[in-house]
Formats: sequence, structure tokens, C-alpha cells
Amino acid sequence: MCSAAHKGLTAAFGVLVALAACGEDAPGADGTAVEKTPAIARAARRAFDGAPPVIGHAPMGAACTACHNAHGMEVPGTGFAPPSPHANTAPPSAMSRCQQCHIYATTDAVFRPNAFAGLKQDLRRGERLNKLAPPVVPHQILLRENCAACHTGQAAREEIRCTHPERTRCRQCHVPAVASGEFQRPG
Amino acid sequence: MARIDRRSFLRAGAVAPGIVALSPRDRAEAARLAATAEPAAPERLTWNKAPCRYCGTGCGVEVGVENGRVMAVRGDAASPVNRGLLCVKGYHLPAFLYGEDRLTKPRLRTAEGWKEISWDEALDLVAEKFSETLEQHGPEAVAMYGSGQWTVFDGYAALKWVKGGMRSNNLDPNARLCMASAVMGFVTQFQSDEPMGCYEDFEAGDDFILWGNNMAEMHPVLFSRILENKRQNPRVRIIDIATRRTPTSDYADLYVEFRPGSDLAIANGILHLLVENDKVDHAFIKENLVFKRGIEDVDEIGYGCYGEQAERYTFKDKGRDSSFEELRAFLADYTPDAVAKISEVPAAQIRALAEIYGDNARGTVSLWCMGVNQHSRGTWMNNLITDLHLITGKISRPGNNPFSLTGQPSACGTAREVGTLSNRLPADMVVMKEEHRKKTEELWNLPAGTIPPKPGYHAVDMFRALTRGDVKAMWIQVTNPWVTIPNLHRLERKPGDGRFVVASDIYPTPTTDQADLILPSAAWVEREGMFGNTERRTQHWDQLVEPPGEAKEDAWQIIEVAKRMGMGHLFPWPEDDWHKPMFEEYRKFTLGVGKDLASYDELRSTRGMIWPVVEGKETRYRYAAGFDPYVKKEAGVHFYKAKGYGEKAAFWLRPYHPPAEEPNDDYPFWLCTGRVLEHWHTGSMTRRVKQLHQAVPRAYVELNRADATSLGIKTGDLVHIQSRRGELRLPAMVDGRGKPPRGSVFVPFFDEGLLVNRLTLDAMDNISKEPDYKKCAVQLTKA
Repeated sequence: MCSAAHKGLTAAFGVLVALAACGEDAPGADGTAVEKTPAIARAARRAFDGAPPVIGHAPMGAACTACHNAHGMEVPGTGFAPPSPHANTAPPSAMSRCQQCHIYATTDAVFRPNAFAGLKQDLRRGERLNKLAPPVVPHQILLRENCAACHTGQAAREEIRCTHPERTRCRQCHVPAVASGEFQRPG
Repeated sequence: MARIDRRSFLRAGAVAPGIVALSPRDRAEAARLAATAEPAAPERLTWNKAPCRYCGTGCGVEVGVENGRVMAVRGDAASPVNRGLLCVKGYHLPAFLYGEDRLTKPRLRTAEGWKEISWDEALDLVAEKFSETLEQHGPEAVAMYGSGQWTVFDGYAALKWVKGGMRSNNLDPNARLCMASAVMGFVTQFQSDEPMGCYEDFEAGDDFILWGNNMAEMHPVLFSRILENKRQNPRVRIIDIATRRTPTSDYADLYVEFRPGSDLAIANGILHLLVENDKVDHAFIKENLVFKRGIEDVDEIGYGCYGEQAERYTFKDKGRDSSFEELRAFLADYTPDAVAKISEVPAAQIRALAEIYGDNARGTVSLWCMGVNQHSRGTWMNNLITDLHLITGKISRPGNNPFSLTGQPSACGTAREVGTLSNRLPADMVVMKEEHRKKTEELWNLPAGTIPPKPGYHAVDMFRALTRGDVKAMWIQVTNPWVTIPNLHRLERKPGDGRFVVASDIYPTPTTDQADLILPSAAWVEREGMFGNTERRTQHWDQLVEPPGEAKEDAWQIIEVAKRMGMGHLFPWPEDDWHKPMFEEYRKFTLGVGKDLASYDELRSTRGMIWPVVEGKETRYRYAAGFDPYVKKEAGVHFYKAKGYGEKAAFWLRPYHPPAEEPNDDYPFWLCTGRVLEHWHTGSMTRRVKQLHQAVPRAYVELNRADATSLGIKTGDLVHIQSRRGELRLPAMVDGRGKPPRGSVFVPFFDEGLLVNRLTLDAMDNISKEPDYKKCAVQLTKA
């Protein structure tokens, strides 16, 4: 049932069908789309692909995990706070000091201009061996072990929304490509 | 090669109306990428290892390069230091290389302003000025001021040029402002610098006692390791002994707030209770300790402040033998009630601390950095923390160590190990000892008597000497003293003062503004380098990109000047391949003396190695049987480096002395200065990174809400802050990330536009000569 998308429906309708079939809430109660930050705007919050994003909202005077909890939370007037993609963010843990890596911008000014270009996010989809094969993960993982945070639920952009969120061992089938090139025997 | 699933991508692009799948811009970007049929973005990059450029933690990063430019970094999962995690500075590393105002050509100050000159002209000029100064005024009139951010190569070249070439000991690094008290702490107790433990203590320990240390912001990745230990082991406790609440305090099981400077009394109070309650390890004491006592007369010692005591502060401590019995009598003054009076810490909290140190069933790790080191009795405070571990035998065991955290990326590897301080030589040697000078001269093939026996100027005195005119030619590399020296007013240069100041840097700073000649330097992976981190790990990186314009690495600059001064014999290696032979020569100093560095090839191929490295094996715990190859015992510890104490460690009796300046009716507030997570030191690198600058764009003054209310100040208001030395207007921060107690304010020092060191006092530690940036008195008014 959930493999509907694997069976070669066009991606856009496949997503819709699969969402319904998998029992996940379709975006918006009446079937209309929820406005989501486009991928490029999200990428602009990062210095480069792999840098942690700066925080996209003003300080709220609450612990980050109050809204960025296990399921995420709609924050009136601000938007949907997605869950954290990191494992074990509840304090204390190695990943519980959110502002060790994620900071607020308090000004638009710069101290001196900077020409750093930075690696751009690659928006292509993951390669598949064939239409039935699971795609490889087309991005770096970089401590974002909780795939569900971005690929399921209300925060997930449609083009990366998972069709089968009940299967929680994502990397059993989707593996990150960490090298290019093909296997060659040594020598 | 990775191929694109172009058809499925194109389908994704053709979205049904009403669904926001890809924005038009995203579609255009994705279509462009799809059409190029190139490998996925991260795979296009060439990735190589390097340590992070910033702090003493020494996180491993992978550096991604494309078309000769650094495009990305990622936390190196293979690094045993950080295991893939970084902090926000590290994640934004590559951008610091690409500020548009990078220095790319030598610049000379002329009557008409700055003039670009060639490297040949610049190097000739430096050589000429230093040679001329040596001839006319002798080796005491030249000086080099370096850095704990120098690579091992830079520091070694500087040491050899200044001490072996110019026969001067006027070589000191900014590490004097940072780690000198820790150096003197370890040296006075073990006759060998640097900690015995390693980062594995963060998993092995139970109680982590932070002395004046905002670890969550200053060593964030190491603090993460403690937090992860706490997640996995609920028995773990964090004790924050501090003068202000910081993000570290949020995670503390016990927060102990003390009056600035009274940490000396608290440590003695803990010792008092340990002795009184017999929580000491008598067998360990008998086998491994000697007791020592130094000069304690406050008038004799003084504080080294300008004008009061010192054009040149040269107090020298004299140790004498003491005993456990004398210690017991000495500690009679430090009852919990007496200590509570000095420190304003409740006696119950002092008892709680003593229970923690005295609990044999739990592992205790003490951690400290600038709060203890930048202290007018910083060496004493280092001694006292180590004393707590010595008297309880909680030392040189996994999870039981006094662990001094280092500020700069190679304060250990370069300043301390190479010995680029005015009194030091490589591998724990000092210029005052004839056999040390002799060994150095032999390894350098120099005639006996080349190196002078008298220590040169330490950092603060070096700048006082420049102001006076006793130092006439000075070269500054990789540091920014016109932001960081305390009581900065003293440093103002007058035009035509007859001095010649050279500054090598990568960006214009207040220091290059004061220089007569600016040399453009290569940074980080624009050149080959090695750093040594806080856990004795030496880490090598290759040059990965070309420096901009004509920028050159600092060691090369020194070597070229030395050659022009007729000192080319000091650097007899091929011009295109000198790093390896230079390192292998330096390494000879370290072998066989318990400071053994790994070989160049080993370091190049590993994620760093922890010295002493003997037969390819690292030493995680120094002095410990089973870990340290120099210890031949079956069990226990052997402080084999401390020959002067019969190969035992020295327990020093150290009293409480009040700070040099305390608040009074006219200046009722304490001023403490320090760093913030986002900025590295004076911000010359991090402020050019958009994300970091935008997070903390300017300095501010943190004050307590009750004080703010009574002064009518709220966050964002301008505050006029004045000390006996200077004044400054700063925006207020109330209930920000740091919360000082009543009567106390905090100002970060990174902002060259708001120089807090115009206010600070140049009081110094009596032994290490490290300035105390944490305690002076100021008055506040709403501006």
C-alpha cells in the first residue's frame, strides 16, 4: 500500500496518494497546501550545505525544545516548529545545547564584506538502481539521525515527504552516498 | 560516478497546482544541477583533515575544497576529540578566510600614508631594522611577540631566530595572557608542564568541578562530552563554582557563587575540611608527595601594576620545605565560617564541596581556564586545585584529574612545548639553567654561550618596555595586543617615537593600525601546520589551498628575515621542503625526556597523537602505571619528571590574598571581562563571518537586574562605565546569557570598537606574570 509511490506514479500525485494511503495528515485540513519555506530560502539560512542553520525567528524566551519537541508544534504567528533532527536533544546530552551551533541574527549588517561562496545545497533526488529500489540519501547526514524530523509530519516539504513513516529504520534501506565512483578491485 | 535520476527529478519539478513542492527558484536551481550531470555537491569536493583554527579543544574538521577554495567543513567523525560535533564557530570556519579586506601585500607606513611594497623590500627592511637595533642597542632592544595560535613551525622558527640567532630572550607569546599561570602551576608541582589526563576523563569522571569556567561557551564540544556522559550516567554531577551565572550554570547540579578572588579561600576551606575529617589519602601522600611553602608577604609580592611597583615586575618566589603538620596548622585559618566570610559562600556549600572531593568512590575532575589563570594569584590557585587532587590521591587515573583547559589552539603545542616564552626552551627546559642552554645549543649546532641566561621581558613588561623605548624593534605575529593588553592607554604610540613595529596578520586590526610595517600572512589551511591541543594531542594538517595575493606563512617570514640577517645557518633546509626536517629537528628535544612527540609521518597520517608517544604508542594518562611507558612501577603513580623533589609531586601551601583592586564607594562594581561563544578572541576572524557577527555584533555590559533597576537601566540602554583608567559607553544587557550577581558586571573583549581593556587593571600573577582581566573596580551610570 505504502509502496504506491515506488510503482511509478508521477511523483506529485504519488505523494498525495501515498500520504492518504499511509494515514498521514495531508497538508492543510481542506486539502490545500500549507505554505512552507522554500528549500532555497531554507538553504540561505546556512553559510553552506552542512553548516547549521541560523535560527529563523526572534528569541521567544522559552527553551528551544518547548516547541521543537518530539513532534513539533504550531506556534501562532510564527509557523510550525519542526522537531529536532538530532538524536537525544533532551537535556542533558551532547546535543542539548542548541545554541552551541544555532544562533540568532540580531542585525542585518556585516562587519566587513565577505566573499565566501560556500557549498550550495544539492537539490537533486537520490539515485535509484531502478524504479523499485529505494533511493540513496542524497545529502550528508551530519548528526541529523532523526530522519522523521524533516521527512514526516507537518514540517516535511512535500517533495521530501516519506510515504511510509511507520517504518522507522530508515537507513536499513536508504544509505547515504559518501563517495562517488564505483567499486574497483585493488591493484 | 554518481548519476542523476533525471527523469524522476523532472517529474518532481512538474508539480500539480496547489502543492508547494519546489519553488520556481528551487526548480531552476535543481534543473541547472540536473543538466550538469555532475556528482552530488559534497562528492565534488576534495575532503582533507585539519584541526579547527580556534580554541584549545582541537576539534577535528574535514575541509572540503573545490577549485582552490574552501567551500565547506564538517565535523570529523573519525576525530577522537569531537566525534563529528563542532560548535558554531567551527561550523562557520571556512568563511573567515574570505573577508574582502584580507591583507594581501606588505604595506609600509610612510609620511603619505600606507604604501604597498614588495616582499623583498619588506624583508630587507625588517632585517635591516633588527640588525641595526642589535648593533646599536644590543639584544635587549629587540623583541618578538607571538601567539598560542602560531603553528609549531612558526613558534620553532621564532624561538630559533630570537634566542639562537639574535641571542635575545625577548620572545613571549600572547599565551602569557592566557595559560602562563597553568604552566607555572604544573611546573611548580611536577617540574613538567601540561595536564596528566586526557579527554577520556569526560566519560570516566563522576563529578566535574568547574572553577570559574564557562565551559558551555568556551569549550563547548568538551562540555557536550560531559553532558553526554550525564545523559548516559545519571550519577554524573556538574559543579559550577563561579562569579556569575552563565549558560554553563544552567546544567549545574550545584552552583556556588563566590566573591571575586576568594576562590583561594574556598580551596583552602575544602583542604581544611579534608584534613579535619581525615578524608586524605595518607598512603598516597607518604609515597608521592613533598610539601612546599613560598613567600606569602603581600607587601613583598605586590601586584605588578603600572606605576606602583614596576617598570619591570620581576618578583621571584622562593620555596622552602614544609610538612603535613605545618599544613594542618596553616589551614586552621580556613574554617568553613572563616571562608564563608571571605567568599560570601555559605559554609554548607563549602562542606558540600569538601564531601565531593573527599568521596573516594567517585571520580573527580577539576576544570579551569581563564578564571583561575587570569588571576593576580593564578599560579597559587592552580596549585591549590592540584593540591585537592594530590591530597586525596585523585590524580593520574581515568576520571580523576586536575584538568587545565587551554584557550588557544596551540598554546600547548607551540607556546608551552616549543617554549616560545621569555624564560623557556623546548620540552620543559628554561634559559636560566646552564645544562638546558647547553643541550639547546648542541642540538642547534651553535657555540656554547649563545643563549643568554637571563629571561627576557614577559608580555606586559615587553609592551611597557616598548612604551619606554627600551625595546626599539618589535615583531608581532598572529595576535592583536592593541586590543588585549590590559590598561591599554599605556600603549599609545606617538608619531616619530623612533620604534619600529612590524605586525604580521591576515586582516587589518588595531595592532596593524599601530604598526610601521604590515606583513600579510597565510592562515590555517592556506599553509601546512601543526597545533597541539589541551590533551597533549599534536595534530598536523596539509596546505589545502593557496593563500590570497602575496600572503605568506609566518614561519617563512621569519626564516627569510633570518637569512637576510646572516642567520641562514639556523634554517639549513631546502626552500621547498623545510617543514619535515624542521619538525624532526625540534622532535629531538622531546625524545627520551617524557615529552616524546610522534614522528612527522605518524602525525601526518593520524588524527593527532597524545604525547609522550613511545614506540608508536600514545600516553593517555601521564605518570600512571599501565599507561605511561616512563613509569616502571606495577601500580600507582610515579612523578618521574620532578627530579628536584625526589621524583615526587609538590603540594604547595598557598594562602588567600585579596585582589589588587576591589570595589569601594566611588567605584562600587566589579568588572569581569571574557569571551562569548560566537567570537574568537579579538574578533579579527569571527567578526568577518556574517553569521557570527550578526549573532553578536558588538560588545555590551551584562548587569544584574536589581542593579539595572536601581540605576534606571534596561536592556539596550547605553551605560557609561568608568574605571580609574578609562571609560566606555556600552549597551546594557539584563538577563542575557550571563547573569552577574549584584555589584558585578561583565563585558566581552572581542570588540575593537569598544575596547574594554581601556578600563582593566594591569595587575599580574606574581609567579606567571599573567594579567588579571577578571577583577577591577568600575562605576556605572545611565548614559
